[in-house]
Formats: sequence, structure tokens, C-alpha cells
Amino acid sequence: MNKIEFTINGKKVATQVEGRTLLVNLIRDELKLTGTHVGCDTSQCGCCTIHLDGKSVKSCAMLAAQADGANIVTIEGMADGDKLHPVQQAFTECHGLQCGFCTPGMIMTAASILKDHPQPTEEQIVKGLEGNLCRCTGYINIIKSVHRAAELMKA
Amino acid sequence: MQPSRREDLRLIAGHGRYSSDWNLPNQLHASVLRSTHAAARIARIDTAPALAAPGVKAVLTHLDVERAGYKSIVGGVATKDKNGELMKKPFYPILATDRVCHVGQAVAFVVAETPEQAQDAVDLIEVEYEESPAIVTFADARAPGAPAVHADIPGNLSFVHEHGDEAKTAAAFAGAKFVTKVRVDSQRLICNPMEPRACLASFDAATGRYLLHAASQGLIAPRVHLQQITGVPATDIDLIVEDVGGSFGIRSSPYPEYMLSMLASKTLGVPVKWTGSRTDTFLSDYHGRALSLTGEVALDDKGNILAFRWEDEIDLGAYAGPFGAFIGTQNVSIMCGGVYRVPSVFVRSCLAYTNTTPVSSYRGAGRPDIAYAIERLIDQAAQEHGFDNLELRRRNFITPAEMPHTTAAGQTYDCGDFPAVLEHALKTVDWSGFPARRTQSEKRGKLRGIGLASYIEAAAAGAQPKDQTAARVAADGTITIYCMAGGSGQGHETTFVSVFAGVLDVAPDAIQYRASDPAFAMIGNGTGGSRTAAGQGSSFTLLAQALLAKARPHAAKALGVAEVSYAKGVFSGGGKSITLKDLARQVAPADAGTHPFDSEAEGSYGATYPNGCHIAEIEIDPDTGVTDLLRYVAVDDLGNILQPMIVEGQVHGGVAQGWGQMFGEHAVYDRESGQFLTASFMDYPMPRAGWLPNSGHFDRVPHPVPTKKNLLGAKGVGESGCSGSLPALMNAMMHAVRPAGVKELQMPVTPAVLWRALRDARAKAA
Repeated sequence: MNKIEFTINGKKVATQVEGRTLLVNLIRDELKLTGTHVGCDTSQCGCCTIHLDGKSVKSCAMLAAQADGANIVTIEGMADGDKLHPVQQAFTECHGLQCGFCTPGMIMTAASILKDHPQPTEEQIVKGLEGNLCRCTGYINIIKSVHRAAELMKA
Repeated sequence: MQPSRREDLRLIAGHGRYSSDWNLPNQLHASVLRSTHAAARIARIDTAPALAAPGVKAVLTHLDVERAGYKSIVGGVATKDKNGELMKKPFYPILATDRVCHVGQAVAFVVAETPEQAQDAVDLIEVEYEESPAIVTFADARAPGAPAVHADIPGNLSFVHEHGDEAKTAAAFAGAKFVTKVRVDSQRLICNPMEPRACLASFDAATGRYLLHAASQGLIAPRVHLQQITGVPATDIDLIVEDVGGSFGIRSSPYPEYMLSMLASKTLGVPVKWTGSRTDTFLSDYHGRALSLTGEVALDDKGNILAFRWEDEIDLGAYAGPFGAFIGTQNVSIMCGGVYRVPSVFVRSCLAYTNTTPVSSYRGAGRPDIAYAIERLIDQAAQEHGFDNLELRRRNFITPAEMPHTTAAGQTYDCGDFPAVLEHALKTVDWSGFPARRTQSEKRGKLRGIGLASYIEAAAAGAQPKDQTAARVAADGTITIYCMAGGSGQGHETTFVSVFAGVLDVAPDAIQYRASDPAFAMIGNGTGGSRTAAGQGSSFTLLAQALLAKARPHAAKALGVAEVSYAKGVFSGGGKSITLKDLARQVAPADAGTHPFDSEAEGSYGATYPNGCHIAEIEIDPDTGVTDLLRYVAVDDLGNILQPMIVEGQVHGGVAQGWGQMFGEHAVYDRESGQFLTASFMDYPMPRAGWLPNSGHFDRVPHPVPTKKNLLGAKGVGESGCSGSLPALMNAMMHAVRPAGVKELQMPVTPAVLWRALRDARAKAA
């Protein structure tokens, strides 16, 4: 077992993990933050995307032990109390979600795209979303949501 | 802020509750051992090493399932063939008995303290397989001397379904001036909802009841199937479902892991949770499509359609999955004349078993396939016999003046304006401007094509005889409404609350919605067949009217008048008024018993006929075989539209799944070994962001012709995107490549397929 400490959504956590435990399983099963989803087993779908030290990361592609000392934000940490994060607001405004399963990962990735490109082009959005799969929307309204989030964040 | 949909707030905040998000104290975790062979006898299973592994509490095999008295998984159709015979249907075991019939078939179920321990122990089970030859395609299954998937089913032939008038159709072909024949494959697909399957079962020994969390599309079918399989009365199974991460047809009935978790929970006395992986999805979720349709059209000298004739090859997979046989019998037959005036049709569908994962319904379940085949056939006929492909359609459309129209396939289309929908789409896409656009593409060395499809589909009447809804009023005046359908992204919560609140003329926030609550033993269809908004929605309209009728006399009494009027949630009379909510609070029983406004409603609504014209414009880079979808136009007659934003999302999603089938998705088995070659997202190309045109190049235009078959005038939208896009995309493709000498293509037209076809055509021409 490995002793690790990290910050998640502003809270300090100290715990012990098996060497093979994936970060996503720690987040979901032990910390009960079930907004981070597992949609595949090959790191393709992006449903488990979180922010780790300010960068979007697929939490299924990392061991929990590797998160020692990290600052993690999950979908549950995006809103500021009742105030939605602009990306969350844009997703509902633009109907960027249907079943909602890929949505937490999409929102985390979108926030990351906007951090790198505050006024992203269509190409930058598409490239940024390459690692996130959605089966419901055809991505049309997801792309729209990212454009809209950029507008909201500029305002 | 106000979310666009009521369900959005929890979903964008990470507070949705999907199957694997449920947990119970003391739960154990399960993992499934799956067959690594397509066809083999199981000589021996030794579970002892697994049982001895750390944390392992139980290893279930077919012996445990048989001891529990569990029956076959439910599937197939009760239709009889022309000789009065039922379909041949093997026992479909929950865990493999003495043989396995497809890769991925469940063989054993390990229960341990942690998921990792269960997974580790699965690898310790020793199974001795004696392999036998496997067949993974319809053609191989039906070839003389083919190995039998099931020893007692000769030629692997399950059923031959015939529909229409064979003699009349043959006579029409004999007298035809022109005949065209087209074969289209609708390849095997993986439905791949983003949420993998999972379940949590808990048996309460004190009450004999089960709690089950597992994704479903509604309450009735899964519970009825669970009862038929396990013998546990449906009313003793509390199936609790909240959020579902996509269904697309494959979640309408229970999977083996659900029954195994129930059995394990009963045996071990604690809750048992199973969390499937994407690999489990690929291997063991029911697959989609997997059929080939060969169509012939008979035309007279002017291009009038005289008859359609179909020969269908339907791959059921290894067993009769829940709705697999339904696709090959009913769904590809009843709409086989499309939007055209066809005096005579005949369909013969052969359903065969193969050593592959069983097939069930996937978005459209046969309807996109037949729409695809018809529209390919019409385009091909125009091409072969020198007709304009628009004129050929215009000449043969069933016109609004001919409605209601009973087709030769036996469906009565109640309404629709196919000619106007076509013209609307042509105008939207600027069809006549295409030659100039093609010239531009040619200058850049690209091939450009435009294709259209005039599709129609039957949105289902539903398997249940009616759709019941209920309203319960709390002491504080809050109204909660219930129905039996289960959502998985369609926005039911938003749509149904809006319909109900609309009749009451109150803000939707005043209403709560609960789907598929097992405490309500109502009758109602699960979500499927693009029917839910029309069916359940109509019933919610009646429900609101029923509630108002109950409230009215109470309002009169409260206001001390004989007659009251009602508007915007307020009863008025004699110069006084009271809100519905205040009235509900006033008359609430002190003992929290039945509220006088509690109401029920029900209705039966027949099939509707959503239709439309989809047009795709594509550009191909002949050097790479990559196709760019430049423009997409979907002019749809979906009847009245209840929630424009949600309907648009459904069209986008349906077209995206059509795009996936057209350009990439294909569940491929190795023909020799029967191994499944595309069982991960690394091997199976799911559509990604930017592969469809953006909203500026994707025109979705409603052309509503409201139906009178339900109270809302709605026709259904869920599956129309697939029905329109498959033929529109392929017709555009053929239009683009025909000048380059390519005569035939089958889906999926991947860049490699296309590049090779163009190269071969060049070589042939040279």
C-alpha cells in the first residue's frame, strides 16, 4: 500500500492506495465523487477527464499513487457554490448534452481547451475534443457549447 | 440560472446517478468469465482455484443457475411461417452450459470483496474447451454443409418470414419494362452507449424482495423478462433507475449479469454489484443491424413503380436476442414500400444463427435498413434506366390527396406531404447550384457528390396495450407525475413536465417528474420506437385534464360559487380566486392519505409515420480516400414538435450514428476463428468531434404535418436521423464516385475502402 496526500476540489485528502489502483477508481469508489465516469478501458473515451495541477488528464490512465501531492479538480468542483462554471452554463444553454454520461469529461476538457485558447477556432476545439467520445449529440452542440463558453468567459 | 432542460443541472454538475454510481453497505463485487472461443464444447470447468483466491465469496456456473431454476433468456417472435411453424429457438442460457456459441458468452460469475479480487479470480478459473468450427456470417451459416451453431437447428435456419403477395408481385415483374436490383449490407454494429452496463442487486430475506439498480428503457419489459427467467414475481423486484447513459434500443431487457447478481445476493445474503467494462459492452451487449437486403423494383415505361420484391438475410447471432427476430420479421417488412405508391410488394426474410453475439434493436431496428435499401434502389433504377432521380420520386410519391393511404405492405399512412418535403429540402440545399459546386471541387482535384433520401418509418404503437400516467399531489400542493417509460438522454423530464404544465397553464417548476417508479404498478411502454413523446406525452395531456376536472368542484366550493373559470393556474369565480397550488394545500388530507386531486390517465395510440428528405453533399480526396461531409440538410415531417431544441439534438445524434455506420463502424469477426476483431474503441471507429458538419452547414428544418393519431400531433424523432442519413450519404457517395468508374460500394466506406475502389476503377479503365 502507498500513502498519498493530495487536494481535491479544495479539500485535503490523505489515504492509502494499492499500487495498481487507478486514480479514477480512487475518485469514484473511495472518495465517492461519482461525477467522474468510466466509459472505456483503453483511455479512448475521456469520460474520466479531470484537472490535475491545472491540466486535463484522463484519470483512468494514471495510477492513484501518481497523484501524490497533486491538486485535483473534478466536475463536482467546477461550480462556485450555486454559480455554474461558464462551461457548465454553456453546455446547458446550447444543449451540449443528452444522456449526460460523457458530459463531465467533455466539460473538463472544454475548460482546458479554453485555458489554452481563450478564443478558440473551430479547429482548436475539434482537436481539443479528439479524446472525448459522445454517442448522443453528434458533437454539433458540444462544439457550439465551447464557443459559447468562450463568449461567456470573455464577458 | 435556468437550465435548458430540467435534467441538465445535475448532469453538468456531476450529480447524475447512473447504474455504477449506486452503492450499498457490505456490497460484494462481481466479475464475469467470458468465452474465448466462438464455438466449443466445455469439457471441464474447475472453479476451485478461483474459490481459494483472496476475498472470493462465490463462483457461479451454469450448475448454480440450473439449481435456482432460472430459465432461458427471453427473445424471439411468436409469428408463424407459411407452414404454420414457429421460429426455431435454442435455449439461451444465462451462463454457458456444456458449450459456448460465441466469443464473450458468459461462462462463470465470480463474487469477491473487491472488484480487483473478482477480476483476478476470473483468471484462475480453469476451463477446458474443445473447439469446433465456427461460422460468423449469414452466408457461411447457410452454405451447404455449414457447421451447426445449434445441433438441432438444420442449416442454422431459424425462421423464414414472408410478407406481401408473392404471385401478384411476380406478375408485376413479368410485365415490367424496367427492373433494377440492388443488394445492400447493413453491417453489424456495436451500439456503444457511453455508459457501460452495470448493476447492483440486493435481496431482502425478510420480505423476499429484490432491489435492483440497472439501466433500462422502462419498467415493464425488464421486470416481466426477469420474472420469466428467474421466477421471481415482477412485483417483488424493485427496479430503480435514475440516469441512464444512452440506450439506443439495447437496454430494453435484462442481461445475464442482472439475474446473476440477484442470485448471488440471495445466496450470499449481501448486495452484489457488477460493473461492466467497455470490453464487456463490445462482447456482450446485444449487437445491432447485421443484415443484408436485396431489393428489386419493377417499373413501367414511364417510370411508374409496379412492385418491390425483397430477399433479406438476417443474422441473429448465436441466440434469439430480445428483439433480434422482430427486426428481421416485422420491421424490415412493414415499411418496404417507403413513401411510394407501390401496387404490390413481397418480402422474404431468412433469419439464421451464427457464432456471434446476439443481435437486438439498435436505433431504428430495421427501419433505417429498409429506408436505406429503398432509396438506394430508387437512385440506382433512375441511373440504370435513364430517369431523373428527382422525377422518378415525384412520379411515384403517395400524395397528400391520397391520404390516408394503405400500402401494399399493410400500413395505413394517415398523413404526410412527401412531395412538399422533397421540394423544401431541394431548395434548402440549393440542389440546382450543385453542378457549379462540383466544378469548383474538380478544379481542386476533388470528387463531389450530392445525394438525397425520401425516407419514412413507422414510429411504434408500442408492445403494451396502453400508456398509463399518474399524478400524486403532496400536502404542500406539489404535483409529481409518473409514467413507465425510461429516459436515457431524450429529455423526458423536460418534455413531459412541459406538456403537463402546459395544460395546467402553470410554470414547469411547480411539477416534479418520476419515471419508472416500481411503486406504481401501471401499464406503459418503455422508451423505444420513437414513440414516447407521442404516446406518454398524450397520456400526460389527459392526466392534466383529469386533475383539473377533479380540482374544479373543490375550487367552486372554496370560492363559494357554482361555476369557476380557470386560467394560468388560478381558479376564479364570484370576484374571488385561488391558485391550484393553494387549493391543493387546503384540501390535502390531514393524515397524508390519498389527495383528492390524485389522478390517473391512460390512452392507446397507434403508429405514426415520421418522414423526411435528407440531403448530403460530400467531397472526396481521391488521393487519400477521405470523405468530407460538407453540407447536410434534414427536412423532417416529425409532426408537431414539442421541444425544438431536444428534437434538433435527436436529429443530430441520429445522423451522427448514420455517419458512423456509413464511414467507419463495423463489428468484424474473423471468418476462420470466429474471434471478434474490433472489440475496443482502439479498433472500432466511433464518430468524433468535427466529423459532422458544424451547425452552420447542418440545416435541420421542420416541415410538420401533424398527425391526428395522438393528442399532441407528434410523430416521433428518435430514429429518423438514421433512416434519413444512411441512404442520403450513400447516394451522395455513389453520385461522387460513379463518374470515376466505381459501380458499387457497401458500408462502411472507410478511406481505405474508397481509396482501393477508386484505384481499382482507374486500373480497369486504363
